[in-house]
Amino acid sequence: MLSSLQNPRQAAAQLMNFGLILSTAFMMWKGLSVITDSPSPIVVVLSGSMEPAFQRGDLLLLWNRNLISETNVGEVVVYNVRGKDIPIVHRIVRKFGVGPEAKLLTKGDNNAADDTELYARGQDYLNRKDIVGSVIGYMPFVGYVTIMLSEHPWLKTVMLGIMGLVVVLQRE
Amino acid sequence: MYSSVVRLQNTFGYFTTVVFAVAAVIAFSDLFSPRTPSVGVLKATNVQVVRGRPHYYSSKKEEYAIIKFSLDADLSSLFTWNTKQLFVYVTAEWPSAGGSSGSGQNATNQAVIWDSIITAPSSDHLANLGPVAMKKLRRSAEGKSIDPSRGKLTLKNQRPKYQITHPSGKLAEQDDVVLRLHYNVQPWVGLLTWNQDVDLWNWKTLRNNLSKKFTLPAIKKKKATEEKKAGK
Repeated sequence: MLSSLQNPRQAAAQLMNFGLILSTAFMMWKGLSVITDSPSPIVVVLSGSMEPAFQRGDLLLLWNRNLISETNVGEVVVYNVRGKDIPIVHRIVRKFGVGPEAKLLTKGDNNAADDTELYARGQDYLNRKDIVGSVIGYMPFVGYVTIMLSEHPWLKTVMLGIMGLVVVLQRE
Repeated sequence: MYSSVVRLQNTFGYFTTVVFAVAAVIAFSDLFSPRTPSVGVLKATNVQVVRGRPHYYSSKKEEYAIIKFSLDADLSSLFTWNTKQLFVYVTAEWPSAGGSSGSGQNATNQAVIWDSIITAPSSDHLANLGPVAMKKLRRSAEGKSIDPSRGKLTLKNQRPKYQITHPSGKLAEQDDVVLRLHYNVQPWVGLLTWNQDVDLWNWKTLRNNLSKKFTLPAIKKKKATEEKKAGK
């Protein structure tokens, strides 16, 4: 089974194959990013604040273009609090003004209070530029793998090891 | 060639293909189920403006509008086999002080005053309820996987869930305020949909979902009302 290691040509081909898989995945991700105009077009739900609509581990497809209308009240958006890099998925419940300077307030469906407490110090409202995208598509449970990986980091090493082994041991 | 690793890979690959294909079919099936939501009544019944503070430790005083309303709507056609929950919400909309834009879809000021999550029987177990309410909810749809009757809403003089204000803190005597009913259908898998402005084949638009324009009253003063009572 380890015969491939003795054949440098085959080993190189396998390395190329592995690289091709990785770069294809990367291209698809970036391509989707360009189409949706969002830095991260697919996100995994990390908290239960939008239950029962979204559970932990559900996969959301985002859209960040305002082709037909502005981002409006009632849309579920993913936003980043200024100075923090944690994306939050909540629903817009208030909007004052129009255009990029419109003041937006969000709230999780499952939370009693709105998000004023979550925002940065001195920040009372979100602006359009804080928003990473509006949720348009939903797929349950698929993203749970990433939650497992981030909560149990050793799984990452194991998975990478298995993937590497498979690539090396695989013929053809 | 046929090592166990390859077999495992093939099985897993086939499994994911089937799962995604079935998911796509389910998501696509939404288009074929007609949506004919209708609104009978939507009107503001009792409007008050009071002064208050945004939170306990704040010294800022703001004006808050408390809009009670009546609603009669039939959204039962939105419940299909792919409906996980229906999010129904009522917004109050009013133009800005400058008053350039009316109360279109892009009204200058828009705030949710009331919302409700209506779960489908298949997602009842996910609702955030106490044990008694949960038992009642689950019993209400025993043996049913779809319960369209939950889409029938009748609210009379309903208290708003949210008291609304404006960043300027001023809201009293605001003209041209309207209430609007919206919904958001959350699927088990597929695209999230909102009430749309135009008919899309099987999906009819939500007509009559706008209330008449009304004016917010002046701030309710305790002393003034007491004097009135004394005068009478």
